[in-house]
Amino acid sequence: MTSTEKKPRSYINPYLGGVLLGLVLLAANLVSGRGLGASGAVKDTVVATVKTVAPGHYWNTTYYKENASDSSPLNSWLVYQVLGVFVGGFLSGILSGRMKWKVEHSPKISSRRRLLFALAGGVLFGYGSQLGRGCTSGSALSGMAVLSVGGFVTMAAIFGTAFMLAYFVRKNWI
Amino acid sequence: MREELIISGRMNHLIDPQLNIWHWHIPLYLFLGGLAAGILFFAALYTILGKEKEYPAAVKWAPFITPIILIIGLVALFLDLNHKPYFWQLYTTIRLESPMSWGAWTLMVVTPISLIWCALNIREVFPNWDWKYGWLKLLEDFFKTYKIQMSWILLIFSVILGIYTGILFSAFNARPLWNTSILGPLFLASGLSAGAAAIMLLSQSHKERILFAKIDLIIIGIELFLIIHMFMGFLASTQVQIDAAALFLGGPWTAPFWVFVVFMGMVLPALLEILEIRKYKVPVIIPAALVLFGSLMLRFIIAYAGQESRWLY
Repeated sequence: MTSTEKKPRSYINPYLGGVLLGLVLLAANLVSGRGLGASGAVKDTVVATVKTVAPGHYWNTTYYKENASDSSPLNSWLVYQVLGVFVGGFLSGILSGRMKWKVEHSPKISSRRRLLFALAGGVLFGYGSQLGRGCTSGSALSGMAVLSVGGFVTMAAIFGTAFMLAYFVRKNWI
Repeated sequence: MREELIISGRMNHLIDPQLNIWHWHIPLYLFLGGLAAGILFFAALYTILGKEKEYPAAVKWAPFITPIILIIGLVALFLDLNHKPYFWQLYTTIRLESPMSWGAWTLMVVTPISLIWCALNIREVFPNWDWKYGWLKLLEDFFKTYKIQMSWILLIFSVILGIYTGILFSAFNARPLWNTSILGPLFLASGLSAGAAAIMLLSQSHKERILFAKIDLIIIGIELFLIIHMFMGFLASTQVQIDAAALFLGGPWTAPFWVFVVFMGMVLPALLEILEIRKYKVPVIIPAALVLFGSLMLRFIIAYAGQESRWLY
């Protein structure tokens, strides 16, 4: 490391970040004609993979049949949007001098525990998002932006459940 | 009674709806061949310029992977052949008008030189290496004496190898997308860019990495220029060429090509390299891996999209 390298900068104000995210959502509606969605990209990829690897299972499962599509996930703009999230996060990390390989966690728990809980949470959230037909971005944010009742219900359900259940896993953070 | 007999290529059951007979082997080989050409070009160049000490990854380390990737590429090419037992017949003739002949003979020059190059540098990896037989030592001394001459041969033939990977497509006039002479320089530039990226990956010295980041930036600029000209050429040509370009300008290959090849394989790594040159901390593996990925995707997309472009509608 040379002395001329940039020092880490602080994170963006969360309220400003929220407004920017709203503008991203607006831009997404303007450009692609639909809202954002993170689980949608994973869903499209999973559906296409199952169709290729296990076509029998694909045609016998309600979930896959309902999401059946002839088009490749490479034609889904959500896949590129999720790629863009990685690219954008990466560029932002470099520009603010925060580019480092690390696991963020409470000092009281190990990295391993943090990763296992994150994975478990991700699996539960992925499953739940498919039962609820969309995740925070695809259903709650994009839905509320077009005043869909489902969007408000999803937002309340996601954050309400999080508040209720946080008590049981709080030791991982405090 | 009047009888008409029509014999047409379209009676081949593979022709309609679309002839798709070139699979992963060809683009993989073209990528590996281009990458090896890129690495060997820089190795030869910096040997001729007498900068072996300053740029060790370019001259000594990166060339170690070239015989391996060339052989993997040749195995892929061999697997693609329909009449495998007859491959040696390529070496019974020299045909200047055939890209296959150019490729076969160029590889016959480049592959052995890449092996000799490794042999000359093997003491960098195993300091106590001993050639057990006297004649091998004599051979090593011989090649050491003529290293500069060998570098010149390698420099020229690595450029031919890089161009040939594109000409293999562009000489095939049945596919309008491939039938453009821009593919030769474009694939050469892409191979040089991949070679520079591989050297950046293997380099331990900051100075060397910055040099190859700068070289890569220039090459990416040339690639973007060539891609724009390729499309301008198509759009200014006949309807089949316009249709071929349309595959990438609104057609099914639009998103994969512009996102994976142009954005992630060229624009994004260029941006990261600019940041690195400006002293931001960028893990070198990311721009290098992106360039290699973009170079591979370019071959795959051109190979597959080319088979969808056609004269008959």
